[in-house]
Amino acid sequence: MSNTETRRQAILEAMVRVVGHKGYKATSVADVIEEADTSRTTFYKYFDDKHDCFLAAYDMVVEKVVDEVVASCDGEQDWVERVRIGLTKIVDLFALDPALARTAIVEVSAAGADARQRHWDAISKFTGFLESGRQVAADPELPDNIALMAAGAVSGLIFDELLTGRAERLPELLPELLFALLVPYIGPGAATEEMRRAAAG
Amino acid sequence: MSPAGGKEPWRPPRGRHRLPPEVVARSQRDRLLEAMARVVTEKGYTAATISDLTREAGVSRTTFYELFEDKEACFLATYDNTVDVLVQRVLAAYEAEERWPDRARAGLTALLELLAEEPMLARLALIDVGAAGPAAQRRYRSAVQRLTPLFDEGRDFAPDGRSLPPNTSRMAIGGVTGLISDAVLEGNVDGLPGLLSDALFATLVPYIGPDAAAREVGEPTR
Repeated sequence: MSNTETRRQAILEAMVRVVGHKGYKATSVADVIEEADTSRTTFYKYFDDKHDCFLAAYDMVVEKVVDEVVASCDGEQDWVERVRIGLTKIVDLFALDPALARTAIVEVSAAGADARQRHWDAISKFTGFLESGRQVAADPELPDNIALMAAGAVSGLIFDELLTGRAERLPELLPELLFALLVPYIGPGAATEEMRRAAAG
Repeated sequence: MSPAGGKEPWRPPRGRHRLPPEVVARSQRDRLLEAMARVVTEKGYTAATISDLTREAGVSRTTFYELFEDKEACFLATYDNTVDVLVQRVLAAYEAEERWPDRARAGLTALLELLAEEPMLARLALIDVGAAGPAAQRRYRSAVQRLTPLFDEGRDFAPDGRSLPPNTSRMAIGGVTGLISDAVLEGNVDGLPGLLSDALFATLVPYIGPDAAAREVGEPTR
């Protein structure tokens, strides 16, 4: 990585940490500069303002999460198993790095309508992975928006936990999150079995 | 409908009048709440200034600060008002029906129609609340929680309601708000009533599964 890229990267990472701790609204460019140990001139060389920097930081976070999820479930397993592995990866990432989780799920909604738009764009990256769930459903005539519903249910639950500062408790919620993702496809009976299995081991 | 409840807010007569001060203050407060809703819809919460609000409401800066501590306090009051209107409409429609899937259909129909008629409510309730900071985000969560018992009546209707996970209602709500937020962000507020089938499916599916949910969506009982 070139020196320029490294410096830009350091600013983005600082943005994620500061926003994760203080919230987007309370974060200033000065905070980010201090955290990244860089100068105001350098900051403005790469970014127009706080908002611009935040959007770039958000994109970086999404890319990281998507890459890790894709790497964790590479297609050998059946659909339910891949959903379980991918979801476990997200929950573990969030529990390990609560600042990243807050930035990705909670603070993005504080950064204006365009940031919220990116948030939904990011969610639709994950809904793409869910689409093949149609094949395991008994009735393939499921609504077009089914993946969006499933993703909305999961991100709503995660949002609540993060808003109340309980990122580290997300792994406990994993069985229920798994139920939420599976239930539109396989129904409550089969989803409850998967939930119990996830809780047991 | 305005977030304060009436079409045109009543204004005290111009010039000198003898209305009791609390009546004047009440109407000034209502006008500020409406002004907040309009200004936020137009330019977003962050860009809205106190001057925008006082100009739009036709009140002085001094009056503003007599009624509210700051912009955030005024926004939170506007937000609470907006949510009250939404929740009351949804409740009334929901309670007019008997069977839970019909109640859910009626409540969702009322919600989607109200949001489509008043794009301001949709933006305020779902989009701008995030920009107003943590206090507003917590209000949003507690507003959503007021609707939780309606969803959870699905437990009594579901064949095996007692073994469903504790957070089932929050999953249903998350599915519905996901659909609505997506449409609002796409600028498709007018089309919200067209989401009824999907929103109803999202509400029913964690309780009764995709097959039964699809049947209910396809065949309302009346």
